[in-house]
This record gives sequence, C-alpha cells and structure tokens, in this order.
Amino acid sequence: MDAWILLPVILPVLAGVILLLSLAFEKRKNGGGQPDREPGEEELRSLHRYVVAVLAVSAALALAAVLSGEHSVTLFELLKGIPVYFHVDDISRLFASIISVVWLLVAVYSFVYMKHEGKEQRFYGFYLIVYGVLMALSFSGNLVTMYLFYEIMTLTSMPLVLHNGSREAIMAALKYLFYSMCGAYLGLFGIFFLYKYCDTLTFTAGGTLNLELAQGNVTILLIAVFGMLIGFGAKAGMLPLHAWLPAAHPVAPSPASAVLSGVIAKAGVLAIIRVVFFVVGPDFLRGTWVQTAWMTLTLLTVFMGSMMAFREPVFKKRLAYSTVSQVSYILFGLSVLSPVGMTGALLHVVFHMVIKCALFLTAGIFIFRCGETRVEQFRGIGKQMPKTLWCYTFASLALIGIPPTSGFVSKWYLAQGALEAGVGAFGIIGPAVLLVSALLTAGYLLPITTSGFFPGGIVKHVKAEEKHSADAAEAEQGQTADAKNVKAENAHGVDIVVDRGQAASLEPSPEMLIPLAILAALAVLLGLFPNPLINFVSRIAASVM
Amino acid sequence: MEFVQNFPFFSILLSLFSGPLCSVIGGKAARRINLAVITAIGAMSAAVLHFTIRTGEAYVYLMGHFPAPWGNEIRAGVLEALMALFFCVVMFLCMVGGSLERSLEIEESKENLYYVMVNLLLSSLLALIYTNDLFTAYVFVEINTISACGLIMIRQNGRTIEAATRYMIMSLLGSGLLLLGICFLYDMTGHLLMSNIKEQVQILHGTGDYHIPLLVTVSLMSVGIAIKSALYPFHAWLPDAYGYSTLSSAAILSSLVSKGYIFLLVKIFYRVIGFDIVRDSKIVNILFAFGVVGMIMGSVSAIKEGNIRRMIAYSSVAQIGYIYMGFGIGTTAGVIASLYHILSHAATKSLLFVSASGITDASGDSTSFFDLTGAGYRNKLAGVAFTVGSLSMVGFPMFSGFISKLLFAQAAVDSAYYKMLPALIALAVSTILNAVYFMKTVIRIYTPADREEVSRRGFKNVTVAEQKAKSAALVCFIVLNMALGLCSEPIVRLLSEGLNMFA
Amino acid sequence: MNLANLANNYEEAIAMILFGIGFSNLLLQKNLIRKIIGLNIMDTAVYLFLALKGYIAGRKAPIVVDGVQSVKAYINPIPSGLVLTGIVVSVSVSALMLALTIRLYRRYHTLDLDEITTRLKKEGL
Repeated sequence: MDAWILLPVILPVLAGVILLLSLAFEKRKNGGGQPDREPGEEELRSLHRYVVAVLAVSAALALAAVLSGEHSVTLFELLKGIPVYFHVDDISRLFASIISVVWLLVAVYSFVYMKHEGKEQRFYGFYLIVYGVLMALSFSGNLVTMYLFYEIMTLTSMPLVLHNGSREAIMAALKYLFYSMCGAYLGLFGIFFLYKYCDTLTFTAGGTLNLELAQGNVTILLIAVFGMLIGFGAKAGMLPLHAWLPAAHPVAPSPASAVLSGVIAKAGVLAIIRVVFFVVGPDFLRGTWVQTAWMTLTLLTVFMGSMMAFREPVFKKRLAYSTVSQVSYILFGLSVLSPVGMTGALLHVVFHMVIKCALFLTAGIFIFRCGETRVEQFRGIGKQMPKTLWCYTFASLALIGIPPTSGFVSKWYLAQGALEAGVGAFGIIGPAVLLVSALLTAGYLLPITTSGFFPGGIVKHVKAEEKHSADAAEAEQGQTADAKNVKAENAHGVDIVVDRGQAASLEPSPEMLIPLAILAALAVLLGLFPNPLINFVSRIAASVM
Repeated sequence: MEFVQNFPFFSILLSLFSGPLCSVIGGKAARRINLAVITAIGAMSAAVLHFTIRTGEAYVYLMGHFPAPWGNEIRAGVLEALMALFFCVVMFLCMVGGSLERSLEIEESKENLYYVMVNLLLSSLLALIYTNDLFTAYVFVEINTISACGLIMIRQNGRTIEAATRYMIMSLLGSGLLLLGICFLYDMTGHLLMSNIKEQVQILHGTGDYHIPLLVTVSLMSVGIAIKSALYPFHAWLPDAYGYSTLSSAAILSSLVSKGYIFLLVKIFYRVIGFDIVRDSKIVNILFAFGVVGMIMGSVSAIKEGNIRRMIAYSSVAQIGYIYMGFGIGTTAGVIASLYHILSHAATKSLLFVSASGITDASGDSTSFFDLTGAGYRNKLAGVAFTVGSLSMVGFPMFSGFISKLLFAQAAVDSAYYKMLPALIALAVSTILNAVYFMKTVIRIYTPADREEVSRRGFKNVTVAEQKAKSAALVCFIVLNMALGLCSEPIVRLLSEGLNMFA
Repeated sequence: MNLANLANNYEEAIAMILFGIGFSNLLLQKNLIRKIIGLNIMDTAVYLFLALKGYIAGRKAPIVVDGVQSVKAYINPIPSGLVLTGIVVSVSVSALMLALTIRLYRRYHTLDLDEITTRLKKEGL
C-alpha cells in the first residue's frame, strides 16, 4: 500500500484544522463578542514550535514520498470511472520538493513578521492547510483530482489574502476568488471535452488524446484546450485574466504574498503542464492557431508585466507585476513545445519560486522594520540594513538573468528553446521580447539597490514629528506625484527626509534574515551548479516529447 | 411478503391522516406531531430503501388485494425509496430551520393549519413518488397544488395572496393539460395502471396505430407538468411565491414541490410511455430547448434582482432549466444527471433560503441587497452557510453542485452534436452567470459595513445560541451538501440502479 | 383524416372545443371570476370526454336496482368513477380559487389580476 504518500497531505491539513478549531473554541470560551485577545509570548512560541514541527515532519514525509520511487493511490471513486487518484511522477517530485523547501523557509520568516499583523493562529491554520493542498495538487494523478485540489487551493488560500480584514483586502481576496473560479470553470469545461476524446484522464507523459476520436472534432477540441490554457493561466497571471494578481499581492501579509506569488501562481503552471503535456499531448497543438495565440498571449504578458512593474511606485505591487511577467516567461517556454524550451520553463519554475519569495521577503522586511511601502522611500536604506539589501541585490541579479546567477541559466534555455523550436517568426520575436523584458527587469529592480546604497544628497534622519511637518509641507505643494518631488529636490541637492529614527542598524532578527539569505544564496548557487537540476528537468522534457 | 413492504402505504396514510388530526389540536402539539411524522416516514423510507437494495428489485403492493387491471397499486424500488427518504430529510430540516419565522409570521390561531398543509403536502409527495396509478397521481397532484397554495398564503399580505392566485392559475392550467393527457391515454389503452398502459403503448407503437394521438398525449402531459414545475417561461408566479411566503414554505416549495412533479414526469416517461418512445417523439427536444433557455434567462433575471429572497427564487428557475435540459438530452445519463440535480438542488436551495433568512435577521429583516452589507460578520454561521450554498450552486468542487454539473456535462458530451454544443455552452454561460450573482451577494455580505450605519439602523449580531434550531438546520444542510458532493459515487449508483428497476 | 371522422366523433370534438374555450379563458381572462368559470368549463369538458369514453350505446348506468347482474347490461363504470373523483377535485379547487378571489377583492376592490399586480408594485411590498 502506498497510502502513506498521502500523509504529507493529511497531516498539515489536520493540523491546520485543529488550529482553527481551537481558535473557534477559545473565542466561544471568551464570550464571542469581545475583541480577540492578543496571545502571550509563551503561547506564540509554542504555536511557532507546533507549526515548524508539523511543516518539518510533513516536508520530510513529502520528500520521502518523492524520493522513494513511483507511488500511486486511488482514494475513492468520485464518479464512475473518475477516481480521486494520486500518482508521484517526476513533475510531482520537482514541484513537491521545491514547494516544501520554500514553504518551510517562509514559515520561519513569518514567525517574526506576523507579530505586527496579528491573528497568527488563523494565519498558520490556513498556511498549513494550503501546504497540504499543494502537496495533494502536486501528487494528483488525473485531471479531475487535480481540478478538485486546484479549486480547494483557491478557497483555502483566500484567507491568506484577506488576512488583515480591511476593506481593500477583502475586495482583493474576492477578486482573487472570482478570477480563479472563472478561470477554473473554463478549465473544467475543457476537462469535459477531454473526458470524451481522451483514452483516460490519468496523466501520461506525452498525452492520452485518442486521435481517432478526435478526427473531425479538431476545431472544438482546440477551442476547449485554448479555454483551458486561458483558464488555468488565470492563476499564473497570464493575459487576459491577470488582473487579480496586482490587487491581491500587495494587501496580503508579506509571507503570504511571497508564497502566493512564488508558489501558488506556479499551480497554474503545473495545471497547464499537466493539461498540455500529460493529457492533450504537445503534438496535437504543435503548429495550430492555439500555439500561436498562446505564444502571443505569453509574450504580451511578459512585456506588459514588465512595463507595468517599471511604472509602479508601490514596491509590492511592482513585485506583483514582475510576477505576472516572469511567470509568463515560464508559459512561453512551455508554449514553444520543444524539449529545450520546456527545460528552460521548468528551470525557471524553480528559480522564480526561490527568487520571488526572496524579493517579497525583502519587501516584508522593509515594511516590518520601517513601515515603508513605496520605492522612493527606500533611499539610503542600505546604510541601515546592508545584509538585507545585499540579499535583495543577489536575488534581483538572478531575476534579471545576469551570469552566473540562476536566472541566466533558465533564460538561456528559454531563448534556445524558442530559437530551435521552429516556430517561425516567434523564434526571433520571443527571445527579443525576453531580452527587452530582462532590461526592464533590471530597470525596475536595480534602482532600489543603487539608491539604497548610494542615496545621493544627504540622508537626514529625523524624528517622527519633524517628518510629519515635512510631509505637511510637501502636501501643501499640491497633489503632484511625490516621486517627482523627490527627484526634483534631489537634483537640487536638497536633503532627503527619511523617518527611520536614529538607529544605526535596522537589520531584522536572524529568524527573518536567515531564510532570506538562504533563498538568495540558492538563487545564486543554483546558477553556479545547475547541472543536476538541468539533467533532471531535461529528462522530464524528453519524456513528454 | 415482508412487513417492510407495507411501509410505503403506511407512510402515505400516516401523513394523510395526521393532516386532519392537526386541525383539531393546538399549534405546539401539531408542530410536534408534524416533526414526529416526518421522522417516522423518513425512517420507514430508509427501511424500504434498505429492503429494495437488498432484494435488488422493485415490488408491487396491491391496495386492497385487487389484482392488476382493476386494483390500485403502489410500486416501490430503490429510486422511489431514495427520493422519499431524501424528501423527508430536506423537509425535516426546512421545518426545523423555519420554526422561528413561523412563530413570528403566522397568527397563533392558524399555526396548526400550517401543519395540516405540510402533512398533506408530504403525503401527496409520497403518493406521487410511490403510486403506480395514473389517475391517483392526478388526484395527488391536485392535493399537492392545494396544500402548496396554503403554504404560500399562510403568511397573509397582498403579495402572497396574489402569488398564490397566480400559482393556482398556472397550476390549474397545467393539471388541466395533464388530466386531458391521462384521459387520452385511458381512451387509447383502456388502463390506468402505469405498467399496463406501457404494455399497450408498446403494442401501439409497434403497430404504428394512433401515432399522432400518442404524440399529442405525451406533449400534453409533459407541457402540463412543465407548467406546474415552473419551467421557463411559466415561472411568473414563482419569485413572489418564494420571495414573500414564510421561510419554511419557501424552502419546501422550491426544493420539494416542483421536484415532486418532475419525479412524476420521469415516471411518465419511463413507466407509462417508455423512454425510447418519448425520445423518438422528439418531445424531449422541446423540453431541451426550454430548459436551455430557462438556464440562461433564470440567471439573467436573478442578476437583475435586488431582493435576496427573490434572487434565490429566480435561481430556482435556472436550476429547473438544468433538470429539463438533462431530460432533454434524451439519454439515460442525462436523466440520471437530472435526478441527481433534483437531490442536489433540493439540498442547496433550502440551505440558501434558510441561510438567507439568517442573513436578513442580522440586517433588520431587510431583504434589499444593499442592507446586507457586512451581514456575514453579524451572523457568522449564516454567512458561511450562504457561502457554501453559493459555491455549491456555482459548482465548486466538494459541494453537490459540482457533481451535478459534472454529470450534466458528461451526459452532454456523449450526446449528439446538435445537443452537445448548446448544452455545454448553456452550462458554461449559466455557470458564469451563477457565479456573477451569487459571488456578488457573497461579496456584499462580506464587505465590512460602516459601523455608524449599522448601529443607526439597529442591526444586531446574531449568534448561534440565539437561533439554535436554525443553526442546527444550517449545519445539517452544509453536511448534507458536502456529503452529496464528496460521496456522490454510491448515490449515483443507487440512482442508476433505481432507474433500471423503475420501468 | 377527413371530415367524416370528425362528424362521426362529434361528441369528442365538442369536448375538445369546450376544453379549448375553458383553457383559453383560464389563461387569458383578466377577471378572476371569469377565470374560475373558464376553469370549470375546462374541467367539465374533460368529464364529458371521459363520460363519452365509458358510454356504450343502449346500456344503463352501472347501478344494480332490478337484480340484473350481467355485465352486458351496464356501461363501463370506471370512467364514471373517475368523473366523480374529478368533480370532487375540481369543486375543491374552485372553492379555493373563489376564497382567494374574495381575499383579493377585499384588499384591492378589484377582480382584475393585472390591476392588483400594478397596485402591489406601487405599494412597494
């Protein structure tokens, strides 16, 4: 019996539910109506221990499951011929292991961060549940099982977005829900068609489409597949259903946005990989209008995401747009339908997951330590938190793709894949767009480093009251964008007023810094020693094409 | 013959006679009797279900031991017992969930009369489920109509009386057509028992005689029942009737009454005419067209509606459309999907009505959409329940609606091209439209309200302890919904087995 | 399919015409009382049809009074039974409709259903 591979699914979900239930009981004991009691230091510590223990055990189990060969479990029959079926294959291995690592690191980081957001117990309850669901998603062995957990993931990750309960957060969370669900339904209707025209919905490398049945129904199948691409692409932030991403990420607590951006957006990628390479089969799509449209959409998204990020002053929103753009790199790599392109895409899945988490964690540190959210406020920040900013810089370099960091490797493969795939003009346009977008990436990420280390002018640290008067004076000048103001003042050598108190160092505590450092180091190291990973993913790519 | 086999007959009689009994006792006692009767019938149906599953075949129960062509018969199989059990469960929960509203909205002196109506309604539903005699079915259809009318107008205001009148008029048109159809069938075949009629109809179909009269008869009966079960465009009475009657009435009407008629239609299709003849007659195509149009138009009306109760009522129009669409596909898979949707919709729609009332309780009893802002925080359980109901309606996995959508789509992709495309497109469009108005409402009830506004309007928080009965009903409904959504495989198997032994 | 058939079965034809009259009255009349009259015409038409089906020319109603036991002496009794049942149903339904009409008339002093609906909308209930 291979049923034990479900343990990393069941354990965190149960643990999360227990957390939520105990929260509800405690509330009832306190008499419901009163505002939530802040948990004491000791309680928090035991909560943290609990979360780490559960996550570590589950992650260990997940790794054991993925490392110990092929497993499959049929849970029960949802409908006749449609079982809830789990199967561990190479794609599952890739996703499950990297998700486990990132999830654990972000959890450690969040212990300190979540102190200023409050309601830790609820957060960790859902955090654990989502981890379990993600494991189930990675292990899903057929299309319907995957869809099931895909939707559950949407629902359970929603509370992470609306954590602070503000109006804005709730609206963003509902937007997230609405987009994901509309997308998922497009996917679902595709599944109905595939159910008819495929031999089986169980994932099989290379696809299970029954070409005899499909004969004569090609148009309708292509439409269905295109619908699925658009639908599952919603989670991955692909045009035209991308709008939830920049709304949801900035309002979520930073650890949540890190995993939303880094991990959950990848669930959309996973779904698309499963549909295209494991059910429909790449051969069916190659050379059709669906491939052309898909490539066009991804390239548009890459470009548009970078442009929006470039123009965005709010740091977390900028990172969210960057996610839109970067995840579409991955989708572009998939859309060229060549082994090299897919290798690049899978590499970028791993690298982007690591890098984007690191970047969001940095944003979280800036918010947590200084309460600053806008890019122009970060001037001179490197003086006070050099380690953080160095980590940020390495992660940025990796995302831009400067050798020898990891981003370079994946982008190299992506461009190679596009050139080799024989997709006509896209072979040229694709790499060109990727290059332009890489420049834009440099344009929106690196200024923070430069102005952080080299603010130009003199940074004056003032106390809060003075800052307020300065703000008031600024406000009198009217409602022109303050970014311009700062620039103008800067040009004249006027002092930059930053309210960070007098402290010489604002470096965060090790619990926050170490996960960030590990992620940043991974971002670089994976670029220095990419060979094992490349071998692994190219094996996957070769197996499906 | 085993003792269990008497149970269908007992349950009809029990509810039939407890009705008049309720008219002579007080409201409180009537309430207890009513709940006891529903529980007892539920238990008996469960026993029958167990028995029929064990024996694996349906059995015929002779009333008064007169043999086939003369006597009146009851016929019970897995499908009938399952429906009876399910109807009892839903009705029990509806009655429990609506008890608070009933005590507020019904004059005390009339309370016992309400239970008369409920008991009669239950007996007529059971009779529609179990009977094997077409004319008996007609009589109970009328009893059903009359008691449903009573349920609507027990809460007296202009709207409900008008709604009841409109409901009666539409129902009478429907039952007129049904009665005419039954008379035609009697004329052609000389029988009233369904199985005997079918034998004759098969012979007639084989020889090709009476082709047109048979066609006319099938269409008369289908249209009659379609009118009675509020298939679009015969739904004009429905929003008012569901929107303004007392809570348990609305829940029972939407989830059970129309389903009883639809079940009769299945019976007519399978046991009286024979489904292959119905399919050849093309009447299913007309039902299909109306069903598809209803799916879309019901949702569109619901989107335009500003009153939450009426919105849910309009959504019923769409869901009835789904059911007819399933029949219209004209395959057994389609009918199973429709039967499953009958269960799923009954569980979900009553959940929605009860939770919507919980939400309006926390909004100063206002049903207008705007006042519901933030109600999900003021009544937490109702908010969650409404969200669950909405997700189920939209077809979120884990909940029952997802499985019915899956079944419908499966049935659709296996059917002919000219039906597959409209069916799937209608499913897609209607799903999106459902998502629009249900998610809109969920967003509304979870949008934080202005605190001052809340205290000025005097909106109160509602806790579970204040509304024990309703909360318990809500929890049960949620569980029922998830049970249908997660353990659908045995239920679908039972449905298809039941349908096999149905004819 | 010719007119001779129609003429031979003129009773059935009349029943159907009556049914049509009743049905369209119930559907189309605005006045509630007329609707109820339409309902009764409709039901009666069905009973006429049923009674016709049970009638066998030259025989008597199936009530044993003079000791004649032979089946051949009587018409088919089942349709008569059905008609009786049907009459009971239609009486109760008509009574209910009339009661509803009285309620509405007391409230709105009109028998026109559309008029009542417009008033209800004005009331904004």
